[in-house]
Amino acid sequence: MSVTGLLLIGFLVVHLAGNLQLFSDDTGEHFNAYAEKLKSFGPLLYVAEFGLLALFVAHLALGLRVTFENRAARSQRYALDRDRGARSFASSTMVVTGVIVLVFVIVHLLDFRLREMSPDGLAAMVVRRLSEPAGALIYIVGVGALGIHLSHAFRSAMQTLGLNNTRYDVPIARAGKAVAIVLGVGFALFPLVYFSGAKHSTHSASVRAAVPSTQQRSLADEAVSSRASFESSSSGHSEEQR
Amino acid sequence: MSSSHDTHAAHGAASTHGAHAEKKSLRLTLHVWRQRDPNAEGKFATYKLDDVSPDMSFLEMLDVLNERLIAGGEEAIAFDHDCREGICGACSLTINGQPHGFERETTTCQIHMRRFEDGQTIYIEPFRANAFPVVKDLVVDRSAFDRIIAAGGFITARAGSAPDANALPIPQVAADAAMDAAACIGCGACVASCKNASAMLFVSAKVSHLALLPQGQAERNSRVLAMVEQMDKEGFGNCTNESECEAACPKGISVSNIARLNREYLRALASSD
Ligand code: HEM
Ligand code: SF4
Ligand code: FES
Repeated sequence: MSVTGLLLIGFLVVHLAGNLQLFSDDTGEHFNAYAEKLKSFGPLLYVAEFGLLALFVAHLALGLRVTFENRAARSQRYALDRDRGARSFASSTMVVTGVIVLVFVIVHLLDFRLREMSPDGLAAMVVRRLSEPAGALIYIVGVGALGIHLSHAFRSAMQTLGLNNTRYDVPIARAGKAVAIVLGVGFALFPLVYFSGAKHSTHSASVRAAVPSTQQRSLADEAVSSRASFESSSSGHSEEQR
Repeated sequence: MSSSHDTHAAHGAASTHGAHAEKKSLRLTLHVWRQRDPNAEGKFATYKLDDVSPDMSFLEMLDVLNERLIAGGEEAIAFDHDCREGICGACSLTINGQPHGFERETTTCQIHMRRFEDGQTIYIEPFRANAFPVVKDLVVDRSAFDRIIAAGGFITARAGSAPDANALPIPQVAADAAMDAAACIGCGACVASCKNASAMLFVSAKVSHLALLPQGQAERNSRVLAMVEQMDKEGFGNCTNESECEAACPKGISVSNIARLNREYLRALASSD
């Protein structure tokens, strides 16, 4: 649980650093180049992706097992059950925020990984998705839940691994909050920036110009219909797939 | 924590001064869990008391109620108690949803009725955990703790006359931490208050106080492995590090002991002996 969770945090730090390339220019070239670079690792990338998937599934399975075992440890509940204020909102909703992250990750993979690459590049796909109201909402809720999950997770993992003690407890608790804020707010920046249009003008102008007209129309539509039309219009580029 | 202490202290002080003499008896509505035996279905019974002295302890209040029940031909409410001075760990009870009641670092037997208000409704339930089955009414079977202690086994130490005071050097920090851990009275409030009914705080206290001292070194590895194995067998839940146990513990056992238990366990797993 703790080991898989910490390794996933490690991945997220790298992932966030990669995503920040989106902000480094207005055309998305840096980000696209980064994505191409990753692809150029070929089979190695598959190995890494498989490892990541295994970590995620292991963490999920352990998390669900812990949750069910713990429910089963007290079958007769208290009629009146009062906390003493030690547990936090985050610590009492780990399985809830975890499952929200799971659903979000599935949507996220369907959005950008399991779908054909758009001819105008990955950066343009990302900007398009995050500019839609539904897309922005899904991403903000998803990474918000992740931030809440992590605000309990880091200190909890340190405690589980026996790395905590009375001297380190305060710094470790602070580091945990910092991890949660950096990753939660860091990932939330993307939907916030693209949806609010703060970094819209230059970028989306270049994106719009490159998008076929069928897709342009769909931009205004709802997320579902936009995905449908996108898939039908881009089916010609299937050699780009994965 | 300190602020709530202050309020209670002020409150207590007021009642020892002038208010003490005038403070009238309390009227209380009690909802008490009654359960005939481990397999019977339990339910709350409601009792009204209208002359509870604020000077009574919580258990004395239950004694008074029991005398009345007996006088009325009813069966007395079963509850655990022994020393009634906060040192033995026999008393239990979940009072208004909190094991040992709302006062910090206080056992049920040390709660006084002056902490309650006139007209208050009080729910009294047993400690709840599958590893602590209800025996009768408010009495639960905490022998799972005894089996964990037994699994830990003996320590190898020279018996006979007391050793020289300074023959065995022990750093002050270790001595203090060991004493703090040894303060655990085995009451089970940590399990009762844990959302997962985990026994980690108790086991961590017991493992810590020996692991920190030279006398505990010979069996350091085997002890932690055996105690954790027994703990898992007893059907306690898993720790998710929410620290409700520490807040509920009448002896203020710190969750830093749980980190030490995890450390000791990993260390024992990794060692060859
Ligand atoms: C599939 C979605 C997820 C689910 C269902 C899930 C579930 C859980 C649950 C139930 C716990 C509590 C277990 C405990 O406190 O011992 C937990 C802890 C944790 N989670 Fe997740 N989680 C998910 C995703 C993630 C992700 C993406 C990360 C990393 C970025 C993560 C990092 C952690 C960490 C570090 C812990 C603390 C482990 C410990 O206390 O030993 N989780 N997770
Ligand atoms: S750790 Fe505290 S709450 Fe748990 S058994 Fe020991 S004294 Fe009771
Ligand atoms: S009766 Fe001994 S601690 Fe309460």
